[in-house]
Amino acid sequence: MRVPIALHVNGVERQAEVEPRTLLVQYLREDLALTGAHIGCETSQCGACTVLMDGQPVKSCTILAAQADGASITTIEGLAPIGTLHPVQQAFWDEHGVQCGFCTPGMVLSTVALLAGAADPSDETIRHGLEGNICRCTGYHNIVLSVKAAARAAAAGAEAQPVVDRNAALAR
Amino acid sequence: MNPSTFAYERAETLDDAIALLAEHGDSAKLLAGGHSLLPIMKLRLAEPELLIDIGRISELQGIRDDGAEIAIGALTTHQAIADDPMLRERVPLLADTASRVGDRQVRNRGTIGGALAHADAAADYPAAILALEASIVAKGPQGERRIPAGEFFLDFLTTALQPDEILTEVRIAAPPQGHGWSYQKLANQASGYALVGVGVLVVLDNGVCSDIRIGITGAAPVAWRARAVESALRGRTLDANAVNSAAAAAIDGVELLDDLHGSAEYRRRVTQGLTRRAILQAAERAAGTQ
Amino acid sequence: MELSGEHRFSAPRERVWSLLLDPTILQQCLPGAEELVEVGPEEYEARMKIGVAAIRGTYQGKVKIQDKDEPNSYRMAVEGKGPAGQISGDALMRLEADGDSTIVHWSGKANVRGTLARVGGRVMQPAAKMIVGQFFNCLEGKTNG
Repeated sequence: MRVPIALHVNGVERQAEVEPRTLLVQYLREDLALTGAHIGCETSQCGACTVLMDGQPVKSCTILAAQADGASITTIEGLAPIGTLHPVQQAFWDEHGVQCGFCTPGMVLSTVALLAGAADPSDETIRHGLEGNICRCTGYHNIVLSVKAAARAAAAGAEAQPVVDRNAALAR
Repeated sequence: MNPSTFAYERAETLDDAIALLAEHGDSAKLLAGGHSLLPIMKLRLAEPELLIDIGRISELQGIRDDGAEIAIGALTTHQAIADDPMLRERVPLLADTASRVGDRQVRNRGTIGGALAHADAAADYPAAILALEASIVAKGPQGERRIPAGEFFLDFLTTALQPDEILTEVRIAAPPQGHGWSYQKLANQASGYALVGVGVLVVLDNGVCSDIRIGITGAAPVAWRARAVESALRGRTLDANAVNSAAAAAIDGVELLDDLHGSAEYRRRVTQGLTRRAILQAAERAAGTQ
Repeated sequence: MELSGEHRFSAPRERVWSLLLDPTILQQCLPGAEELVEVGPEEYEARMKIGVAAIRGTYQGKVKIQDKDEPNSYRMAVEGKGPAGQISGDALMRLEADGDSTIVHWSGKANVRGTLARVGGRVMQPAAKMIVGQFFNCLEGKTNG
């Protein structure tokens, strides 16, 4: 049995016929090659597979692709045009909110949704909002700093900026 | 990690869903948010042949204030309950409980109907649902019926729902204005499930406890009302001494779980401790001192 | 995983003994038993659909009755295999006469492997107790038959 689905992924309309048991994360990774949605625990705990579904963070390992029919999905790849960084990504870079990077796409997407609902979040709000994203490195301290930096950047009206190749810049 | 193969049908209306369930019986499961069902299917702890997706049925959505009662549609997500201004004002125990389920992503997808129908022993809602004396509305081929919360949770993963019935909404008579409430929870660090969760409602009349209701989840195969504690405190002032000695009876007559997440002895102490804290916090809120 | 419990039957010990060891009755009372075949002396193979509510799977199992001391006690060695893992275990059944009734004391130890062992801990103990309870309640209903 195949189920027809039609959804928007990173602004592009997609149509497919999927097996009912296809998970949203599999469809994104295997059919659309959007491998920024990571597969971690597979038991809806770690949050590495987080994507935005109609603007809200969800765990794409625990949603059938068929359930996402008609939805609008944003993965980390769709957050900013290729070659640029979204202000939240930039903040994670600046504050070193990244260690191994495995949890980072999920952290960034959860942060985007968190800041949409709380412009100036407290530490407690940040930690509660990111409870569904586990960092095993563990870099929570810098992640909280990154979210605060992203909130300041958003307040200052930041927009996506081109990625700066700092090594190349230094070489010049 | 996939579930094993199954067929998928999307029900457009409640009647469609009831008919599909009647037709396929035991081999089918209802899919709402999927946050209880899909994880156990991925682990092959469940292998239904058919999933009936009820996630888009409009009759099962939304929160309505009917005056005497508040009706919460089965498909209402935990996050929607946590954020609803009317529920936060009139039934804060439920809104606060919902805000503590799992994590943000889980709350965005998981539904109150799904969580109640699955009746996980470590789910958060049963504590509040019992303390609020809510009613569960179910509909099947024989029609609609209301099940009082106290008769809904029967045993481990087992509710009073019949195999051909669908949980359609939760109905709650809002507690009187000025009541006190508290949900105290010790969560499993990874899953967020309640190792123990205690929900308390308190009504004070001139400083004396005129009504108290306590629901406890997580510590036993099925959630329960701590009636011995309630009757020890009704008609009394809720000072620390009275609450301390009454809270010990929170586990009376209950066979506590004893597993790798916590021994029965540990759960006993946590349950008594959280019951004490929850009553004291609810009493402070009712007295307006917090 | 260790489990134990007891169940009181309002029937004499000989009657309870014969019910507990009657393959036809067992097939009727084992929750979800789809097939029970005698494969050797005191040895049975069974296919059972077991579980509680949503958590359910079809398990292929073997039961061997050992150390029979009629009508006092016997042991059951159990092996099972299903989609979520494997179970092997050993249970002691002890029948105690109490006037006209009988108390069955049961205790068992199970080794669990696979997914069931990894994630089922929170689920298995209460589920196992419920299934045993269903089994004894069904047997109870047969004591007058």
